[in-house]
Amino acid sequence: MARSRLWLMIAVGLSILVLALSNAVLSDHYMLLSFVLLMAVMLPLFVRFERRKLEARELVLLAMLAAIAAVSRIPFAALPSVKPVSAIVILSALVFGSEAGFIVGAMAALVSNIYFGQGPWTPWQMFAWGMMGVSAGLLRNTWWMRKRLGLLTFGLIWGFLFGWIMNLWVVIDLAVALEWKAVLAVYAQSFYFDLAHALSNVFFLAILAGGWIKVLERFRKKYGLLDSG
Amino acid sequence: MTSGFRALHPVTLFLFYGGLLLCGMLLFHPVFLLTGIVLLVSLIVIQKHGGTIVKMLPLYLLIGIAIVVINPLISHRGRYILFYFMDQPITLESVLYGVTMLLSLTLILLTSLSYNYNVTTDKFMYLFARLVPQSALVVMMALRFVPLLRRRLSQITLVQRTRGISVHEGSLTKRMRDGMTLVKVLLVWSLEEALQSADSMKARGYGTTKRTAYVVHRMDRRDRWLTGCLSILILVIMVGSALGWGRAVIYPRMQSMVFSMEDWILYVCFGIYMLIPVIVEGKEWLSWKYSK
Repeated sequence: MARSRLWLMIAVGLSILVLALSNAVLSDHYMLLSFVLLMAVMLPLFVRFERRKLEARELVLLAMLAAIAAVSRIPFAALPSVKPVSAIVILSALVFGSEAGFIVGAMAALVSNIYFGQGPWTPWQMFAWGMMGVSAGLLRNTWWMRKRLGLLTFGLIWGFLFGWIMNLWVVIDLAVALEWKAVLAVYAQSFYFDLAHALSNVFFLAILAGGWIKVLERFRKKYGLLDSG
Repeated sequence: MTSGFRALHPVTLFLFYGGLLLCGMLLFHPVFLLTGIVLLVSLIVIQKHGGTIVKMLPLYLLIGIAIVVINPLISHRGRYILFYFMDQPITLESVLYGVTMLLSLTLILLTSLSYNYNVTTDKFMYLFARLVPQSALVVMMALRFVPLLRRRLSQITLVQRTRGISVHEGSLTKRMRDGMTLVKVLLVWSLEEALQSADSMKARGYGTTKRTAYVVHRMDRRDRWLTGCLSILILVIMVGSALGWGRAVIYPRMQSMVFSMEDWILYVCFGIYMLIPVIVEGKEWLSWKYSK
């Protein structure tokens, strides 16, 4: 019963997806297209997470990291673009791997927006922070990320990337007609905000890196958390 | 006590808002969008949370003015030139496009307002807890941790101030560094405690069998009926809009906004779709008012 219902739901979901996608492509609905693509990118990551049977400890750890990242956004709410969330997501991913990084990043966006207000930007933020976590986790064993300077550069780059991804939301959803001049104007306008985000990333990573990695590593070793990931 | 539209089954509600979001993006026509906005605002007003609209207004005006003003300045596509502004032709098409874009965005923002009111977090969780149990559990725990962490953070701040660690005094660098010290204390404390609650979860049998959930929502006849109606309407709207109905052709050259037969069909479908919550809510209100 439950199984057949699940398949039915998957079938219905797929048919809606196909219909929406064809609709979007056929008549230039970029907003819809972007929504569908975002979901399509994040879905496999969530499915993979669901398929891994995690211990209670690991789930609680992920929830706690996401909550800390979300809470850290609150005291800085007055300063736009200064978001310690990015630094916390990157550090969590460095210690616990890319999958954990994705979950912490995506969940932090979802949870903190319950306080800051949900809207069409939520999936974009989930995507941007999730991908930040994934990339930090994938690169964690390279010599580059082991170096302090490399880590700071990584934070700097992602400060800009995050802004650029969120600009896509502005460009697509507020679509001031898709023209190059308009797109360029949006990207030029956001430069200082992106710079502020990038610099605050560097700052937070510089302060946090040593201490937090030590703390998180200690927890990982002591409790044997997320070892394979 | 919830009643009216809010009391519908979460599946029905979620379907309605999903479909509405889709309509807001698909039906790129000022008349459609305006109708949707009027009916959605009346739903919000009947449900008595009009205050949320007022709260959103400043941000909305900022974005709105930007779209309406910037689009004609940047885009000079179109045939009918209204006037020249600093030697730049301002076309009717680009003005209209900006306005339509604004209406589309308005409908989407209003949808998210109404959604936040009607589909509360627990209903969202009810929908997804069985589909994606692990992610749902993580979100639920994280949500619960947020107020707890804020309380703890204020305790830590109080204690650390006696050591001169404070975010309220000193240079900016010192304040930011102190802020991060506070967060680090929070991290160690909370992780230690979180792992203890995890052990307690495990001791009570988490993960030994499939996770069950207490179900408070029951799908009754009205829910099934409305779900059916909404699904059919969404399907018609999606197919129709894929065929190009209900879409104002603005670029490269504006065409008549007068409805064709197909547009009327789509318009009626969309109207019924938007009226459903208003009727459900209004019926409740009437029967409450005249039952005494």
